[in-house]
Amino acid sequence: MSKTRKFLKANRGFVYVIPWLVGFLVFKMYPFFTSLYYSFTDYNLFKGMSTYTLQNYIDVFTVATEKNALITTFKYAFMTVPLKLVAALFIAYILNFKIKGVNFFRTAYYIPSILGGSVAIAVLWKALFNDTGLIQMAFSAIGLEAPHFMSDPKWALFMISLLRVWQFGSAMVIFLAALKGISEDLYEAAALDGAGKWRQFFTITVPLITPVIFYNLVTQLVQAFQEFNGPYIITKGGPLGSTTLMSLLVYNNAFGGTYNMGKASAQAWVLFVVLMIFTAIAFWSQKHWVYYSDEEGGK
Amino acid sequence: MKKKILAAILSTAMVATLLTGCGGSADATADTSAADTETETAEADTAAETETAEETEAEASGEVTYEECTLTFDWWGGDSRHEATQAAVDAFMTKYPGITVEVNFGAWTDWETAKAAEYLSGNNPDVQQTNFDWIGKYDADGETYLDLNTVSDVLDLTQYDQSTLDTAMDSKGGLAGIPVSITGRTFYWNQATFEQAGLSVPTTLDELLAAGPVFQEKLGDNYYPLVVGEYDRAILMAFYLQAQTGEPVINESGNFTLTEDQVKEGLAWIQSLEEAHVIPTIAYIDGEGADSMDKSARFINGEYAGIFEWDSSPAKYLSALGENSGDLVVGNEIIDGVFKKVSLMFSISATTEHPKEAALLLNYLLNDEEGAAIMSTERGIPESKSAYAVLEAAGAIGAMEAEAHAAVMDADPMYWNPLFDDSSLKGDTAVYTTVFEQFSYGQDASGAAYTIDDAASDLYNAYIAVAPAE
Amino acid sequence: MAAATMTPEEARILAAKNKKIKRRNAVNLTLRYTVLILVGIVMVYPLIWMVGATFKDNSEIFTSINPIPKNITFTGYQDAVKSYGGNINIWKAMFNTYSYVIPEVILTVISSTLAAYGFARFKFIGRNVMFALMMAMLFLPQVVLNVPQYLLFNKFGWIGSQYYLPLIVPTAFATETYFVFMLVQFLRNVPHELEEAAEIDGCGSFQTLVRIVVPMIMPAIVSCALFKFMWASNDFMGPLLYVNTPAKYPATIFVKLSMDSDSGFNWNRVLATSLISIMPNILVFFLAQNQFVDGVSAGGVKG
Repeated sequence: MSKTRKFLKANRGFVYVIPWLVGFLVFKMYPFFTSLYYSFTDYNLFKGMSTYTLQNYIDVFTVATEKNALITTFKYAFMTVPLKLVAALFIAYILNFKIKGVNFFRTAYYIPSILGGSVAIAVLWKALFNDTGLIQMAFSAIGLEAPHFMSDPKWALFMISLLRVWQFGSAMVIFLAALKGISEDLYEAAALDGAGKWRQFFTITVPLITPVIFYNLVTQLVQAFQEFNGPYIITKGGPLGSTTLMSLLVYNNAFGGTYNMGKASAQAWVLFVVLMIFTAIAFWSQKHWVYYSDEEGGK
Repeated sequence: MKKKILAAILSTAMVATLLTGCGGSADATADTSAADTETETAEADTAAETETAEETEAEASGEVTYEECTLTFDWWGGDSRHEATQAAVDAFMTKYPGITVEVNFGAWTDWETAKAAEYLSGNNPDVQQTNFDWIGKYDADGETYLDLNTVSDVLDLTQYDQSTLDTAMDSKGGLAGIPVSITGRTFYWNQATFEQAGLSVPTTLDELLAAGPVFQEKLGDNYYPLVVGEYDRAILMAFYLQAQTGEPVINESGNFTLTEDQVKEGLAWIQSLEEAHVIPTIAYIDGEGADSMDKSARFINGEYAGIFEWDSSPAKYLSALGENSGDLVVGNEIIDGVFKKVSLMFSISATTEHPKEAALLLNYLLNDEEGAAIMSTERGIPESKSAYAVLEAAGAIGAMEAEAHAAVMDADPMYWNPLFDDSSLKGDTAVYTTVFEQFSYGQDASGAAYTIDDAASDLYNAYIAVAPAE
Repeated sequence: MAAATMTPEEARILAAKNKKIKRRNAVNLTLRYTVLILVGIVMVYPLIWMVGATFKDNSEIFTSINPIPKNITFTGYQDAVKSYGGNINIWKAMFNTYSYVIPEVILTVISSTLAAYGFARFKFIGRNVMFALMMAMLFLPQVVLNVPQYLLFNKFGWIGSQYYLPLIVPTAFATETYFVFMLVQFLRNVPHELEEAAEIDGCGSFQTLVRIVVPMIMPAIVSCALFKFMWASNDFMGPLLYVNTPAKYPATIFVKLSMDSDSGFNWNRVLATSLISIMPNILVFFLAQNQFVDGVSAGGVKG
């Protein structure tokens, strides 16, 4: 076998990633670096570019509205991701007992996840949570007054978060599948040793599904940091900017009437870097708590 | 089994896609061949007549020469405007066979985003409904919109007052658009609610101020004589201050004419309206989550007994009120210092290949007897004299629109500078919204107190950033 | 150690213990069902209410939490299927949606499988760097790319394309990083033995992919297809930027259009339009939910 052929054979896998590479360079890398470049300029779509500046980045951390959006995004992610994962795992755990009608429940819990991203559901959310809506009516039926979700800055973000937590079904289905893969024998052995259900859960169930927890954690984190539709359609980022997440702020600056691409690009880049840091932490921590049956990971 | 069903559905859908694809192209061919036969005669004429065209067309006799072509045309609006405009376009195509008009229309939300992207790429359509502030935004160099003076042989500009046309001037002195209508804000009152409170609708500012406490006492906390959102407040405040100073807040030379203290005074007045239960707080309005008052249950059931709106828009409120629409009456301008502005315009793209045909379409929609009748008052009371005459003769001008328009014009409206609507001031995340919202809440985004001094300083600085003090 | 024979005292204790366990099991079971049903109600009540609301008029929508309408009205549906000036109606909009969603799904599945196979099963120069770059794209907010992408597609002359090129073409290049990531994750848990055997039998790598790998990860591929189907049909920003003619509007834009129409606000019509527009998604989900779950289990902890 000639050297060249050997080289080609050793690298034959490259052929499979060529389409991806082309798409990556054209549809991702090029726009990616273009926007990085914009982020150091005062580029305005209609007024053009006149100077290079770091001001866009300084503003993210000093201007009240921008700083606030960054904080709000953190709050949102740290509220929705754990809630969603806990709800998903808890319900999946219950469903994994020999429950009659598992399929029925699974379907009921999963439906919100399919529909959650649609314009339709955002409209529904507004109908549910406004001051004359379903939630307020339900509260007053038992003689209470519900929080003003649409106008109270303290509650608006919670309402938006609920929309995401409500869609825990997708994570739940993945957990459920993983739980089904755990052998009954393990539980029986533990039960013989006198371990209660809770102990079984923490000593057997959780360790065995760590790859799935990790998978769900990363995907949910990524989605939470990029959430846009909910606040955009339901609250437009208000009241008092309390639901203006970074992605909405970026959109507002880029397309919301001022076309300040430089500013928007810098904000998007901050969002990107923050997200990268969190993901890096998650990946780094992986070796301390995630167990893969195939340690080589196919390498 | 289920897999099979799924596969069946998918393949059916795909076949359907293919079939329709064919259907679509077949139609297109049919169109072209029909057009081809006509072209022969039309083309022969065109060459000969181009030079003599100007003389003949000035007669407006309907004997206009034109090239066969396809024009693109878009607008935003609601259902009824879509229907009327499409009907007018269809009638235009019947009258001028050979010109095909491809239309595109949608709701206002997100419309500007899509259009901005088009301006950027130069893909904007030949004929377009445009917003007044777009001249400054997208036509800063005067290269985006065609100077309509260049097509005045086809487009009859004599139907408009020169002063109206002057407002649509771009930086190069070209006419960037035709103002379809002039509009101003006035009050609309829900008579039934006022009667319930034992009052008649207010005709002076004092009567309005007095109505607040009466509403609260007789009808309850959830009843207000007037409701105004953030942008409404900015306009209301401008009226109030203009009445005091007697000059526009931003004058014709683009200077802001108020001091920070005067701005503060205006804000204090707005605050006093809230305190006197004349208007609800922003928090109370936000709580309902209605995008605009015609979608507000509280307006529809009469709890909000007054709105401050453009004279051209009562239709949607009337339709929102449904069978109670008779309750809504036009009020007079209870504050002096009113202004009027161009509501919206029609423009032609500077890059169009068919300026003459585009102008022909515009003339038909705006000035032509038949076209104007179909277009009706969907974009306000037309400024075009011929259109107005046609509609008035046909009794097509809604009593309420006419009344509201008269209320504005009777108040001797002042000059209005488009800088007032600059994108840094007006918009969902712009200064009017944030300042009036934070001021009403009494706190800013971070939860810190937001005082009248903060509000006055933010607002003043934002104004002088776009319109320097004199 | 317990003796072979029990004293009566011991027997009684054991019986009591068994009874206790049984009772505890019964309590547990009741508790589980209670939790499941309560959470279930919270999950689906809004949707049931939404269905009911399509048959109510505005005043009833905002005065009753009962999902069952008192006075049934069909005006919501009658208005929902009405054409907008003859140019676009809900059926046409849905047809438009699926005329780009289906190609997107097919292309995404093919291109993502190829890329995942390449990354998960081969070593080649630059593999680790490329893989890291691909993963990084997972965390890149789309909003960063929107404007440069728009300008790029404009250069290609794709804006307003009646074949939805800006939406479809990128999917042929595995630009949906999430699916590549998902398939790589699945592949990590699929044993290599079969592939090695196939290779010894003289199968080329592409044959191995088609004959061995694809059937093994089929459930995962189906679940990718389903996800892509759901997301692509819910996409709002893409069509908004790239579809400019009403006759070509997809259902999402149409729902927004019908929602923003400014003649009052007929919730029943808006909700009915929304409901009709998401029916295919619901249908596909019900038909394929087992495949979806199977797909997920294949990538679970087995292997």
